Amino acid sequence: MIAGEGRLRAASAVVASVGIAIATYIAIVESGGGAPACLAGGSGCVTVAASPYAHILGINVAVLGIAGYALLLGAALWRGDVGRFGGLFLAVVGYGFSMYLTYLELFTIEAICQWCVASAVVMTVLLLLNLARAVLHAGTVPRGAASGLRA
Amino acid sequence: MSTRAAEKERLRNHRLKREESEQERQRWVLLSWGGVAVLAVCVIALLIALSLSSSQGGDGDIDGAGEVAADLEGIQQQGTVLGSQDADVTVVEFGDLQCPVCRDYSGSVIAPLIAGPVSAGEARLEFRNWVILGPESGDAAAAAYAAAEQDRYWNFVELYYRNQGLEHSGYVTDEFLRSVAEGAGVPNLDRWEKDRANGRWDAVIAKTDRQAKLHGFSGTPSFLVIGPHGSEALGTPHSAAHVEAAIARAG
Repeated sequence: MIAGEGRLRAASAVVASVGIAIATYIAIVESGGGAPACLAGGSGCVTVAASPYAHILGINVAVLGIAGYALLLGAALWRGDVGRFGGLFLAVVGYGFSMYLTYLELFTIEAICQWCVASAVVMTVLLLLNLARAVLHAGTVPRGAASGLRA
Repeated sequence: MSTRAAEKERLRNHRLKREESEQERQRWVLLSWGGVAVLAVCVIALLIALSLSSSQGGDGDIDGAGEVAADLEGIQQQGTVLGSQDADVTVVEFGDLQCPVCRDYSGSVIAPLIAGPVSAGEARLEFRNWVILGPESGDAAAAAYAAAEQDRYWNFVELYYRNQGLEHSGYVTDEFLRSVAEGAGVPNLDRWEKDRANGRWDAVIAKTDRQAKLHGFSGTPSFLVIGPHGSEALGTPHSAAHVEAAIARAG
């Protein structure tokens, strides 16, 4: 059964909102000089938050995450090919950067932050949803659109 | 006859238009896929390059110099001591500049102490470099002590913590330390460079190590409170309130 675009968009919006919540939690905690609480009581989150990779040009990576997830939410709400390919572009970038950060955690920082893993999982799901939306519906006229190929 | 021909021509034109429209759609979709792929690879590469560049440290991009200066403004600094020389109680922190827990304590314990009893003239703070995380911590300690020679020790220590990198990651470079010294407002950087290269800090660091062990401390940060009513080795306190209670007992 081909997934309806409406369902894919709704699922993307929900998952992007979860991503915003996770990234906002990390950003708020780290802005106070702390680190997210690791659920099993480990110190991975403290180590990752203290690492030199936690900031890019002085901006906390979690803040970039909030911006990325917010744009993905916008793309999910945006109908037509602009939303489809915009969402796919953002999801590919987010997924690629998440994989880079996960690599750093495993092999450079040698500590795992559960919240970062959760964010990487969220980004992977968003990539799959946006990929499905683009593959199945690119070039089609959204249901309810009056006219126009790329409405 | 001519009507049928015209109708055929109309249908043909319609079909051609539809085919053209379909081809345009396919071109657009193909272009979009290609655009997304190329642009995404470029943006990912840019983000990774920026991340690697930002992680090097010592690039002069030191954060929080103004905030540290504002926090310490108007408080007397002499050598490694912050606060009034007339204060009855001295709070000594044994810390390692590479230690992430010490960095957290800089915000959660030291900052309230500075804003509270130190600003009120009830206590003074002393930070002793207990080097437990290897030679890079020794380099950082020597740089801090050299800043103390120009009464910018606490600016250096607090600014260092705000820009601390991952221990043993190689971020404690000469460039990073100089950036912290600049941000800390060390007036004469040439003198600071000479002072930090001075081998006498090794003896100070060794002495601090002996003192920490003498007090039974097992890790950084550890606190010692000294006052007219005795001294108390707190170890690693739970909060600033814990230290403030010890100040009240010692004073």
